[in-house]
Parts: sequence; C-alpha cells; structure tokens
Amino acid sequence: MAMYAPRRSRRERDNQAMRKKRTCRFCDAKDIYIDYKDEKRLSRFVSEQGKIIPKRITGTCAKHQRQLVQAIKRARHLALLPFVSDTIR
Amino acid sequence: MASPRRLYETTFIVNASLDDSQIDTVIGRIQDLISRNGGTILAVNKWGRKRLAYSISKKSTGFYVNMEFEAPAAALSPLERAYQLDELVLRHLTIILDKKAIAARKAIQASAALAAPDPSTPAPAAPEAPAREPLFTEQAEEKKG
Repeated sequence: MAMYAPRRSRRERDNQAMRKKRTCRFCDAKDIYIDYKDEKRLSRFVSEQGKIIPKRITGTCAKHQRQLVQAIKRARHLALLPFVSDTIR
Repeated sequence: MASPRRLYETTFIVNASLDDSQIDTVIGRIQDLISRNGGTILAVNKWGRKRLAYSISKKSTGFYVNMEFEAPAAALSPLERAYQLDELVLRHLTIILDKKAIAARKAIQASAALAAPDPSTPAPAAPEAPAREPLFTEQAEEKKG
C-alpha cells in the first residue's frame, strides 16, 4: 500500500509537466501535406545527430508523424538532410 | 492507353561542376524523354547549386532541379533507367503527387495570390489574431500548474 503512494504522485507530476506540449503542430497549423522539400521545417524534427525525433517528444500526432517520417526519408535521399551529421568531438 | 495518367514530381541532382549550358542539356534530355513517352511537363524549378547534406560520389555541391509532369505510368521506367545511366545525375527521386499534395499546393498558391496584392488590401491582418490566441491560453495553463 505504501509503495503505491509516491509512485502515483510522481506520475501525476510528470503528467502535469507533459500536458503543455501535447498538441500536434501540424494539426494546429492545419497542414494537409508535409513536403520533403521544406528542409528547414523538417530539420526541426530531427536531432542534432540527424535522427528522427519520436512523436512522444515532439507531440506530433500519429498521422502526421507518418507523413513526417516519409518526408524526412525523402529529403535524406536527396541530400537535403543528413543521415548522420558528424559531431565534432 | 492501359496505364493511367498521373501527376508526378521528380527532383534530381546534377553534377554541379559542369557549366550551366551542360546542365541545361541534361535537363533538356530529361524533359525530352518525358515528353517523348507521352508526358507533359507542367513546371520546371531550378533550385540551383546547393550544398549537399553529405557527399555523394565525393561531391559536396549539386545542382538541384525539380520538375512536375503529367504522364502515363509507362513513362516512368524509361525515365528511371535514363537517370541511372546518366552519370551526370547524382541522385533522383520521383514521386506521385497525391490528392493531399495537390490540395496543399493549391492552398499555397491561393495564399500566395492573397499575399501578392498585400499592400493594396489590409485583409491578411485579420487571420493573424486568432493564430496568436492559443499562445495566451497556453501561458495561462502554465501559470495554473
């Protein structure tokens, strides 16, 4: 019984912190199509290493994440976005 | 006749170390091939020389060309083959423009048309206000938390 109490409260705290970001940017902007040519916009959904950022972090909805992933992969093929960007370290 | 006509978009990267005239001949060759296979070219956008995100066959820059065309599906395989055989083309991508893409394109064109006569009409000022509203509500929620 005692074990559950702190766990639940922590989860609640996390939820409160998360709630702010829980909107899909593409739904908000009412975008129908995510274009692979728009590299500036795509680069916002890619980490510094060049990895695609999961939707649980960006808050993108599943539908738009799928489109986004396709657009990023197309952009990578055309060397608009890197597959891996070399970190100088 | 059997294959349906579709709207396609193709982007390819030409070796940027060539002269502009040589690049134009490469573009012309591709255009020619599309039209010869029963396609009609709707738009050609030359993005020009751009830095590649990573080097392709030891080149760090490329000349990007983007084309929109309508063609029967049968025209695609000769196009793909031409791309592969052409050593001056570093990369190529051909996609079908689906309904969503076409709709988005029309919306962009419509907004561009609205933005063009901007100084004469004060209409675009109105849509800005509702776009800002959600920001305020977000801030209010943060304060509550």
